[in-house]
Amino acid sequence: MSRTRLELLQWFGLFGGALAWTAEHVAGYGISDAACSVAGRQWGLDAATLQVVVGVAAGSVVIAAWAAALIAYRATNVPYDAPPPTGRIHFFAQAALLGNVLFLVIVVLDAAGSVYHLPCRQS
Amino acid sequence: MAVVAPSPERTRIENLERLWAARPGLLGWLTTVDHKKIGLLYFWTTLVFFAAGGVEALLMRTQLATANERLVGPETFDQLMTMHGVTMIFFFIIPITTGAFGNYLVPLMIGARDMAFPRLNALSYWLFLGAGMFMYSSFLIHQAPNAGWFDYVPLALRQYNGGLNVDFYALGLIFTTVAATIGALNLIVTIFKLRAPGMSWNRMPLFCFAMLAASLSLVFALPALTADCIFLELQRKLGFHFFDQAHGGDPLLWQHLFWIFGHPEVYIIVLPAFGIATSIIPTFARHKMVAFPLVAMAELLVAFIGFGVWAHHMFATGLTSTTLVFFAAASMMVVIPSTIQIYAWLMTVNIGTPEFRAPLMFIGGFILFFVIGGLSGIMFAAIPFDQATTDTYFVVAHFHFIIFGAAVFPVLGGIYYWFPKVTGRMYDERLAQLSFWLTFAGTTLTFFPMHIVGLLGMTRRIYTYDGGLGWDAYNLIETIGGYVLATGLLLIAFNIVRSYRRNVPAGRDPFRGGTLEWTTTSPPPHYNFAVIPTVTSPYPNWDEPDREEDLRKLARGDLVLDQGHETPESTVNDAWPSAVAEMPPESPWPILAAATVTVAFFLLLTQHYATAGAFFVLTVLAAAGWNAHEPEEATG
Amino acid sequence: MTTVTLPVRHAHAKGWWGMVVFVATEATLFGTLVGTYVYLRFQNAHWPPEQLPLPPVLTPTMLTVALVATSVPMHVASRSVSEGRRVRAWWALVVALAVQVVYLVWQVHDYVHAIDVYPPSGSAWASVYVTILGADHAHVLVGVLLTTWFVLRIRTRLTRYRAVGVQATAFYWHAVNTITIAVLAVQLSPHL
Repeated sequence: MSRTRLELLQWFGLFGGALAWTAEHVAGYGISDAACSVAGRQWGLDAATLQVVVGVAAGSVVIAAWAAALIAYRATNVPYDAPPPTGRIHFFAQAALLGNVLFLVIVVLDAAGSVYHLPCRQS
Repeated sequence: MAVVAPSPERTRIENLERLWAARPGLLGWLTTVDHKKIGLLYFWTTLVFFAAGGVEALLMRTQLATANERLVGPETFDQLMTMHGVTMIFFFIIPITTGAFGNYLVPLMIGARDMAFPRLNALSYWLFLGAGMFMYSSFLIHQAPNAGWFDYVPLALRQYNGGLNVDFYALGLIFTTVAATIGALNLIVTIFKLRAPGMSWNRMPLFCFAMLAASLSLVFALPALTADCIFLELQRKLGFHFFDQAHGGDPLLWQHLFWIFGHPEVYIIVLPAFGIATSIIPTFARHKMVAFPLVAMAELLVAFIGFGVWAHHMFATGLTSTTLVFFAAASMMVVIPSTIQIYAWLMTVNIGTPEFRAPLMFIGGFILFFVIGGLSGIMFAAIPFDQATTDTYFVVAHFHFIIFGAAVFPVLGGIYYWFPKVTGRMYDERLAQLSFWLTFAGTTLTFFPMHIVGLLGMTRRIYTYDGGLGWDAYNLIETIGGYVLATGLLLIAFNIVRSYRRNVPAGRDPFRGGTLEWTTTSPPPHYNFAVIPTVTSPYPNWDEPDREEDLRKLARGDLVLDQGHETPESTVNDAWPSAVAEMPPESPWPILAAATVTVAFFLLLTQHYATAGAFFVLTVLAAAGWNAHEPEEATG
Repeated sequence: MTTVTLPVRHAHAKGWWGMVVFVATEATLFGTLVGTYVYLRFQNAHWPPEQLPLPPVLTPTMLTVALVATSVPMHVASRSVSEGRRVRAWWALVVALAVQVVYLVWQVHDYVHAIDVYPPSGSAWASVYVTILGADHAHVLVGVLLTTWFVLRIRTRLTRYRAVGVQATAFYWHAVNTITIAVLAVQLSPHL
């Protein structure tokens, strides 16, 4: 595998899932706020459907990032403190394998909760 | 008798001694740009603020020891309560972890000779001092901030709080956040660019990962607080509308912006403490940290996910359930990285051959308190439970277990751990262990009963309470605990002073630590390293071949950099050498600039806006003078 | 000064990275300002309030285009200093500065007028509008000061320290120009 490809896989693995969750979190909060707010009620948003769409999109990116991290991890089978760039790539790939699992769980929980709860019910 | 010419090594070291020699006396301290001296300035100043916050706490605890006490009136109590929170968070724990420990240790641990921007480092300290004095001057006119450390509107608006109290709060925080941002910026660029060649990301010590995570969080969290405080002052002083519904604003806007800052803030508080723990554990367990990459990632993940949980501080404000889902989910998952770290720490101690000296005992106390505080914290992620216990002493118990137990205990352990390195003298081990037990007992006695009395209905922020509610005994125990805790802390201070006076030499490496600070003399020379170290792992002091290579490099003159006031720059990811940076000598500009800013803030407080503007212009002129003094010109 | 005999890789200087981190804080600050605008927008049926005239379109757009265009000479200046071409860098800075100053003076003039038309004490919309615009103009002012400073500093001599300063200033301007586009979008959003 070429060095550039390995680097791309590692960096996408490390940041792709994180950025996807960030976008999903902001969008999800925004959709819920918009659907239930004074101005937003006039727009008649189907918040639950939108949340699922956002969740599926974000979740797909997180899964892709996890897969990229796995490929990079297996292509660089060295101890974590091995010389760079191989050691550094392996280190970050391993870190990304952990991070993306967490992001995926959050995205799934978000979508499930958005569908489960009654819309615009005050807590 | 023939004169023996000095060896090449000796000549190089003499060059370094000459180039890095410090200006002596008071002027030397006022103009210092040495990260070690700045770290010490931060250390002593934060301890003064710790004492002030402690006095505020003891006054409150004495008032609350029994029902219907009148030691202080409600207005004074509100000021003590608010200033206790503001002081401990903004003027004690953040500056001691990032400013004292971070400044002193990060350059040493990465094999650099100073921080990336030495004069900016000095500026961050003098601004911090100015901000602290600004905030505390409010007590002189009995108008200290009084609306709680999170200063909710509408209580903080002019019609409900017409004095200067909230203006001290808002302007004081804007002031201190400038200092904190500068400090964080310096740590980030130092960690990015000044790591010794060979120290790629996967070979950087965990302490530096923790400092990086905390600094990145500061950079992205503080602007929300700044914006909030600017909005508040614009509304209070110039009649703007952000927080009142009548003109299209929203009181919850304050809470959202505050907690967008406030939740990352609590991770900023605790992450450097994690860094201290991950330094002490491998040393005293005599084993490398288990699952090193996962621990490093966990530190960054906690900070990152922590940006998405803020509304869990607002579960009782009536937000819609579908909105709260996002914050409840993230709040549950943010626990996982912390749990991974706890398992890694415990496994490392278990696998290793631990030596339970005072620093490790403080870490043991830290882990216990962190688990308890974490458990009470995760209980709040359940919205119904949160709505029942919000604003009770259960919350107070939770965050004191985290802040005192999980942030302060590592700091106390870290003080003992690095005392020999900073002073060259050894601390008294028996007295240190006694001080641990006393502090541990005091912490437990003070904060554990708060869980119970909170569940019994005692609300927070009350200046007194009626008898017969079942709260009396718990409050009395808590107050006694507070005095025990104070005694423990005073014993630590006494031990430090006494150990300094006893002057038992500690040597270069009394604990056989793994990181680079243990390779230098104690205390380190001004230039930290005679030769920039060879690095092939995160535990360089345990890599004998590399340390022997350093001696050969010194003989060859390789990476000694003794032709100027120099340290190497390297690339961000893999630490390939990229340049040699010339560092500035002592400079008066940082303290001058900080002085003009301090005066300007007092003028803003008293609404002399034009004169304040003039002082900000002076600050710009100081910056120009600063930039005109280029480091390369200073060294001939 | 040590002549570098290390095997070096080309990389951005630490001063440049310092500006990157500083820009991150300022960008976040603008993020919260725009976020506040959007958040309050959801709370209000009429945003802006019905009695207020809609914000102008032509002048702010024209001026923003002109300001964003100065990223080109700023980039030229940045590249020129890293090649040691002092005179070329100086002229690029002067060209950029001229446009930046015209932009600032024109905008400040319009801003003073805007405060009369949209008094902050009248509504939250006006408060947020005036604050966002004011913050943007303040950042442009800082940029003008930076460009002016380096026009003075590299008039006679170019050192590595000053070269890094020019590169950092160029980065600052790219960021301010991007933020100004976002501010323009907020300013024009009532027309949507």
